[in-house]
Amino acid sequence: MQATEAVKLLVGFGEPLIGRLLTFDALGMRFREVKLRRDPNCPLCGKTPTITDLSIHAEGAGQACAIGDNGQGTSAAAGAPAAKPGS
Amino acid sequence: MKTLREMLAEARQAIREEGPEELQARLASGEPLVLIDVRDPDEYRDGYIEPAVNISRGFLEFRIGTAAPDPSVPIILYCQTGLRSALAAKALKDLGFPNVINLAGGYQRWIQSGHPTVKDSPLTTDQIQRYSRHFLLGQVGEKGQRKLLRSKVLLIGAGGLGSPTAYYLAAAGVGTLGIMDGDRVDITNLQRQILHRTSDIGRPKVESATETIRALNPDVTVVPYPHRITVDNIAEIIKDYDLIIDGSDNFETRYLVNDACYLQRKTNVHGSIFQFEGMATVFAPDQGPCYRCLYPVPPPAGLVPS
Repeated sequence: MQATEAVKLLVGFGEPLIGRLLTFDALGMRFREVKLRRDPNCPLCGKTPTITDLSIHAEGAGQACAIGDNGQGTSAAAGAPAAKPGS
Repeated sequence: MKTLREMLAEARQAIREEGPEELQARLASGEPLVLIDVRDPDEYRDGYIEPAVNISRGFLEFRIGTAAPDPSVPIILYCQTGLRSALAAKALKDLGFPNVINLAGGYQRWIQSGHPTVKDSPLTTDQIQRYSRHFLLGQVGEKGQRKLLRSKVLLIGAGGLGSPTAYYLAAAGVGTLGIMDGDRVDITNLQRQILHRTSDIGRPKVESATETIRALNPDVTVVPYPHRITVDNIAEIIKDYDLIIDGSDNFETRYLVNDACYLQRKTNVHGSIFQFEGMATVFAPDQGPCYRCLYPVPPPAGLVPS
């Protein structure tokens, strides 16, 4: 799937998975598509970004992998869109 | 009977003409358009205006549907001097394409005005055969294949996700594949990480990946990075690539790749998998959300398996 998306983007055809999250459940053998919207408050690509360089990733900065406080948990690992998917 | 002069005059009345400066402005703006070189293939091979596709005049009506699927997008035609393409533009207009433009003065005036052209080096006989099934696909074709051969893709991780992705991209003829992974092959990897073989156990993954890919397709230049991606090396490494594929297995790396790609305006093809569930999306800077739009902060450390 990633390879096909890459070829489409490189050559420039088809409809890329931009703004769409494709999830795949092999047990039920089901694909699901969730629309994603940009978050205007995103700390990186939002209107007033707070991340403007990579310094939060520097050792000791802590924040990049700090413990989150909003209860997103294991679902992120499994690929379920826990946060703010659009309708 | 009409003379050639009369036919050209008639065509010019029916169509719109623009000069090299106007075409250059359109190309620079990035607006959608279809640029078609209607000269013969040998003329096109000697040099053309990027990003033109070559459909010789004789095939134009047959192939225009594939080349210009959306009739509302402007179609710009050119030939050597602007005459053949004027007649070609008239033919498209007669077919019902509303927005057809002829490049006045053609390729010759484009060059005289000092605008850039490109010339493709010929594909080898082996390449023509190897990629022949791509040529059958209208969306790829010889032009798309050349783009792939010129493309540079960086894979972060040569594991469960990176293995099949790298393998397919190598088979498809992506010219340069950077592969970044600091791990060594373990026997437990082999049930899914198809770039590595039993005899590779203990070797750096980038080494076995390089060998497997070279054996599959000698057209591919593999650039191995036998270390983890870190805040100190990421900016320098990704800057040379057209596209980044995130096949990493931990959140720290995903946030780092996301942030670096956004800051350097690189598109990131994201994938992750856990047991029987997987997900994929594309983060294209400012065209759609980024990873932080989905997950603003990382999950609690230790809560998630890697």
